[in-house]
Amino acid sequence: MGDTEMNRTTAAGRWRAVAAATGPADRATAEAGVRSAYRSAGLAPPERVLWADSPLAAVTLLQGLTGAGRSVRDEVRTRPWAEERRRLHDALGPAGWAAHWQATGARLWDPTRSLADRIRAGVTEAAGADAAEVRLLLLDAVLGQHDAAWLAAFDGHGVRLAGLATVAEHAGWWWPYENAVVICERPVELHRDEAGRLDRGDGPALAFADGFALHAWRGMPVPAEFLAGLAHLTPERIREEENAELRRVMLEYYGYDRYLAASGARHQHRDETGVLWRIELADDEDVVMVEVVNSTPEPDGTHRTYWLRVPPTTRTAREGVAWTFGLRPEAYEPLVQT
Amino acid sequence: MYRQGDVLIAPVAEAAVPERVKEAAGEPRDARGRLVLALGEVTGHAHAIPGPGRLVREPGPFGPLLLELPEGGRVVHEEHAPIPLPKGWYRVVRQREYVPGAYRIVAD
Repeated sequence: MGDTEMNRTTAAGRWRAVAAATGPADRATAEAGVRSAYRSAGLAPPERVLWADSPLAAVTLLQGLTGAGRSVRDEVRTRPWAEERRRLHDALGPAGWAAHWQATGARLWDPTRSLADRIRAGVTEAAGADAAEVRLLLLDAVLGQHDAAWLAAFDGHGVRLAGLATVAEHAGWWWPYENAVVICERPVELHRDEAGRLDRGDGPALAFADGFALHAWRGMPVPAEFLAGLAHLTPERIREEENAELRRVMLEYYGYDRYLAASGARHQHRDETGVLWRIELADDEDVVMVEVVNSTPEPDGTHRTYWLRVPPTTRTAREGVAWTFGLRPEAYEPLVQT
Repeated sequence: MYRQGDVLIAPVAEAAVPERVKEAAGEPRDARGRLVLALGEVTGHAHAIPGPGRLVREPGPFGPLLLELPEGGRVVHEEHAPIPLPKGWYRVVRQREYVPGAYRIVAD
């Protein structure tokens, strides 16, 4: 691998960690980053620096703030950013730029963008009657650690984005104005699943020090009370749930195996690929699952069993397993499995 | 056809591989010099090819990932036994599961 590629993959990994970072900000370093970003934009550093414990607290603070002057987000972030992108694009050519983005920011883009969207939605919702005003304030935010995709792409190219990168590495979102800057702490908790979606069954998936939090199960927003109820689930409670998405969460949390045993689910078919199960639900399509045994033993020598939901039209275990790989049943023929 | 956890590696006849794929620039290797077929977002565990080869992202019937192993190789993962692969071209498929109205990638 060439030096360039090595640098790109290292940068992508570093910014992946920045995007997911939690815990207290390094306030002095972040503030130095802010001053550097203002200077790079040809502006005097802000007279006042205010800290907030969460994006919600920051927005509340901004609503009561006077004398901050106009937003300088365009000068501090958007313009240098666009110019850097154009410069890189011209230097690398369209195909080169596409490859560069693929190697650096592309994989960070979806998880950070969806996380930022969820935070915006949570802040707007918490704002209640002020929602319209809060939406406008959120447009003034620089996303700091959640700008990781772009910062990964620009990593190592020029110094004019160094201030922005420093803030992103040491704090959360921030709001640059002519005379004041509001900087937000990072979350204290962030829990995601393997696919990068917010995910936690026994508490907030994202939480800030002041209690502003988002609850989610495998990316799906759920109310905090709903999660609290998961610990005391019964098969009856699951059957009674009318919201199909929440019922799916309940099934996953309760455990398909337990539910199958408790509910007398039909064990529909078995072959060398696994077992096919069917749970009939009132007013909803059947839940059909293949039970598959992991081929590689766990450290204790046991084999982990897992369930994958497949389309309700599935009739055999082989058909179900093949579907999970997008194959026809007769085409699924692994020689080796681990 | 080989399966390591949630990743299926299916041979493709060389004659069936489009010319544009054979000429395409490969995906970059990771910091450890491996071709990463699938990466666990949180654990960082990866299904990966440590040796020589090329990985091409390709939309359409051959995609999303085509793997070329001119000398053969093996696929490794932190939690699964390695699988030796003969030389040739492969289609790499990630396992999915059904969600009413959609499907999603399985988290291994």
